[in-house]
Amino acid sequence: MRVLHRNAPAFGLAMLAWILAAPCTYGQVPPEPEGYRLKDYRAPTPATLRGATVLDTAGAEALWRTGSASFIDALPQPERPANLPPGTLWHPPSHASIPGAVWLPNVGFGELAPETESYFRNGLTAASQGNMAHALVFFCLRNCWMSWNAAKRALGYRYSAVYWYPDGVDGWKAAGLPLEEARKGP
Amino acid sequence: MTVNLRIITSLSAGVAALLLLSGPSFADDQSTERTWSEIRSSVIGERVPEDAAGRLVLGAPMRAEDAAIVPIEMHLRLPKEEKAKVIQITLVVDENPAPIVGVFHFENGQSIFDLATRVRIDSYSFVRAIATMDDGRMYMAKVYVKAAGGCSAPAVKDPAEAQAHLGEMRFRVFADRGDAQIQMRHPNYSGMQMDQVTRLYTPAWFVERINIRQGEKTLFTVEGGISISEDPTFRFSYNSTGEPVTVEAKDNEGRIFKQTFLASGT
Repeated sequence: MRVLHRNAPAFGLAMLAWILAAPCTYGQVPPEPEGYRLKDYRAPTPATLRGATVLDTAGAEALWRTGSASFIDALPQPERPANLPPGTLWHPPSHASIPGAVWLPNVGFGELAPETESYFRNGLTAASQGNMAHALVFFCLRNCWMSWNAAKRALGYRYSAVYWYPDGVDGWKAAGLPLEEARKGP
Repeated sequence: MTVNLRIITSLSAGVAALLLLSGPSFADDQSTERTWSEIRSSVIGERVPEDAAGRLVLGAPMRAEDAAIVPIEMHLRLPKEEKAKVIQITLVVDENPAPIVGVFHFENGQSIFDLATRVRIDSYSFVRAIATMDDGRMYMAKVYVKAAGGCSAPAVKDPAEAQAHLGEMRFRVFADRGDAQIQMRHPNYSGMQMDQVTRLYTPAWFVERINIRQGEKTLFTVEGGISISEDPTFRFSYNSTGEPVTVEAKDNEGRIFKQTFLASGT
């Protein structure tokens, strides 16, 4: 007892440190929101998306190997602000993605500017070759709502075979599957 | 493992304790060093910096609560026997689209100096500080920070409020700790923030130069960019000479903000 007692402050400090280092939201699975996620896009995602099929890495890999689905990477990429002084170093991070995937950046925000929305619609039309029943697999990274939003949006456009792969590039990489430099949709 | 060790050695004991307990699961060293290898020559030229251990300590939270205002501390501690002085510190967030957060210039050179500010971090990234000596040597410290979305996060203050208080400054002295703080009201828009109503990007509007001097002597000058947080704040080592302190800032639209304070602060 005495030992325990003596260590109590140290234990308390350790717990405090752990709590500070790992916000309690991490590790918890939030429920599905009614609408789109509007902020804090890098945070734990729900387990489900109504109307879509959720894939784990094995499921995503199986579908990828059939070659019958289009993989849509929804990782955002910032655009250089138009009025940034010309000498400013601008280096948007490069991005490795699932081979064959089409990268449609910025289509997973909660609300889209009209031009982003049409970019997304056109990108999906091209990926599906106009077939609304074509399988579409949406992904970005783990704990990234961009793919969830994008997949939900595609359901709203009435695509009928929507898959969501929440582990995304992180899960793909962890499984030792190949990656290649992402190709942005036109 | 080398990453963990390097980070731990470049942090203060308290922060190191957090790291040890939380069992960091970083992206692998290779992928995170990759960006630095791509931008390094644009940031510091061809010279390869040495490890800053024992000279410059960089402090940052392992996981930031708010990616738009991540506190960063730089503690310069050159060894006693070192004759050369540091004339500039370059602060970099590798994975930010505008990786150079700011360059701090010390006109008269510094050996022992503390500086703290708040920055935006756009995705999980190494934050690094590179100290340049007056003889050209460079020393680099780095810390890995988990934070995302800091460059595009909406401003805390609405445009009208930001405009109403634009350029207001505060200078506070903490004599017991030997430091002082400059706070300036400026939205420091990154150009990557979406207007919540129009869905369009708010143009970049930021403080690009701040000069802080006591009497005629410059304490330091900051060349800043869009990765400095809204309402730029700098905390720094300060030993008052009794002379007034002047802060002069200029933003990328050419506005000049200038204010002089008593040596003891406001």
